[in-house]
Amino acid sequence: MIDLVNRPGVRLLMVGLPALALQTTLLAELTPFGVVMQLILCMSIGAGVASGPEGGAFAGFVLGLMFDLVLTSPLGLSALVYGLAGYVGGFAFSASLANPRWLNAVTCAGLSAAAMFVQPVVANWIGVEGWISSRLVKVMIVVALFNGVASYAVVPAMRWCLAVRRLQRLAPPSEVFL
Amino acid sequence: MPIYSVSRRRAVALLALTSILLITLDQQGNGIVGGARNVFGFVFHPVEEATRVVTRPVQNAWRGVTNYGDLEAENERLRDQLDQQEGAFIAALAIVRDAQELLALNGIDNLADVSSVTAQVIGGTPSNFSQTVEINQGSDRGLKVGMVVVNAAGLVGKVTQVFTNRSVVMLSSDVQYAIPVQIVNQGEDPATTTTSTSTTTTTSTTTSTSTTTTTSSTVPTATPAGGVESTTPVSSTTTTSVDLSGIDFGALSPTTVAVSTIAPGASTSAPTTTIDINNLPSVETGIFRGRGPDKAPVVEFIDQNARFGEVRVGALVITSGGSSSLAPRGIVVGRVIKIVERTGTAGAVLEVRLTARLSTLNFVRVLLYQPVVSGG
Repeated sequence: MIDLVNRPGVRLLMVGLPALALQTTLLAELTPFGVVMQLILCMSIGAGVASGPEGGAFAGFVLGLMFDLVLTSPLGLSALVYGLAGYVGGFAFSASLANPRWLNAVTCAGLSAAAMFVQPVVANWIGVEGWISSRLVKVMIVVALFNGVASYAVVPAMRWCLAVRRLQRLAPPSEVFL
Repeated sequence: MPIYSVSRRRAVALLALTSILLITLDQQGNGIVGGARNVFGFVFHPVEEATRVVTRPVQNAWRGVTNYGDLEAENERLRDQLDQQEGAFIAALAIVRDAQELLALNGIDNLADVSSVTAQVIGGTPSNFSQTVEINQGSDRGLKVGMVVVNAAGLVGKVTQVFTNRSVVMLSSDVQYAIPVQIVNQGEDPATTTTSTSTTTTTSTTTSTSTTTTTSSTVPTATPAGGVESTTPVSSTTTTSVDLSGIDFGALSPTTVAVSTIAPGASTSAPTTTIDINNLPSVETGIFRGRGPDKAPVVEFIDQNARFGEVRVGALVITSGGSSSLAPRGIVVGRVIKIVERTGTAGAVLEVRLTARLSTLNFVRVLLYQPVVSGG
């Protein structure tokens, strides 16, 4: 049982489901300046920051797919964009040194803004028109600010989710020993 | 294990390809996608409900902090509006009843014939791009995908996902929402001025007693564009004159009403009804389309009808109905607020102000209506 819970995929679901519920209930109501804050996106980028590009892509894909399943937008759209955001976020991951928290926050904020821009562009590309408007700038700014602050809690949580151990995190890359 | 490896890169590429495959399947309307959404909704619902209960105090606190001032001002404004509308409502009741009788007499469906289920909005949209709300009624009350959702003011949207005891409603402001509509040229600026209207009711009985009641009320006014006149010769010289022009079931417009009711037992001859077609309010059809939360919805692809003339600002937009439309005819959508002319054969685009306030929805009504030609 313990082994099962320690699996990254299981942990991701254990954290992802309540986070998704928070997204669809509380965060759907708390809308500063009329913008819905995007916790799931923050978690996807946080996974990348915590574990590297592959972990970020995997977590982003799973979380994005879960988000897609409760939305009316095309299935796979959030999975693609969030997976990409997690993958790019992984390049801020350092296996040998712990990132300063402010760097994680800046990474989350910047990539959140980028993802909020990319999502309607991809949607437009697949035929869902009307998402690109002047409101997009406001959405990018508010989501970036929220996710930058939320990263202080989200990155450690995703580190636990993906079972990134401290020794592994602080150790030099394994290529060094080859 | 190295951080970067060929197999891991392949896995990442596979995830991206899987996403693209899912998008393709969804765009093609594959049944597996709908099934997956239903299964996930079934699993996710208990978690969501528990979270909703736990976070409700926070939501209430947020609403209290952010909306208190607005609510207070709105409450005052609504009280004033309620006082103004009370008189108009009484006059309108008689008109609505007569209109429904006329529709029934002519075998025309009207909204009063459509069953409905009242639902409460329990959740907003979790995305910045889709405009949806969640309601607390589902398939156990007869809801199906595509059914139209209204509130007291007018059109709200349509049901897009149905679970056992909840549903997701796509709002009419969503960019993916579209529905055929009619534009009714009422002709005048809907600015409200105050005039006096009198309602006279005469009741005759077999004992030859007669009662006349005269009521004065104040209603918003507008100039009618035409009317239907029905003359019914009766032995006791009773005349029914109903002017149906400008009837707006959402926001009441204006009319002079003279209603005579004949009590049972009064002898009547065969009624003669004359409708002057040239004086009916002219209508035009088009496609209503949402454009997101920050842009007014539009009506496009307007048919060019010579009799209709030019669309005027303030014209009423209602659903057009029809055998394949998801909504029955006559649901108030909104009013034209701007006309954007386009060159060539594209025709004008009408910007519409919705009568329903989609940002503050609470209770809504789902019409259990399905078109004759249903896609399943």
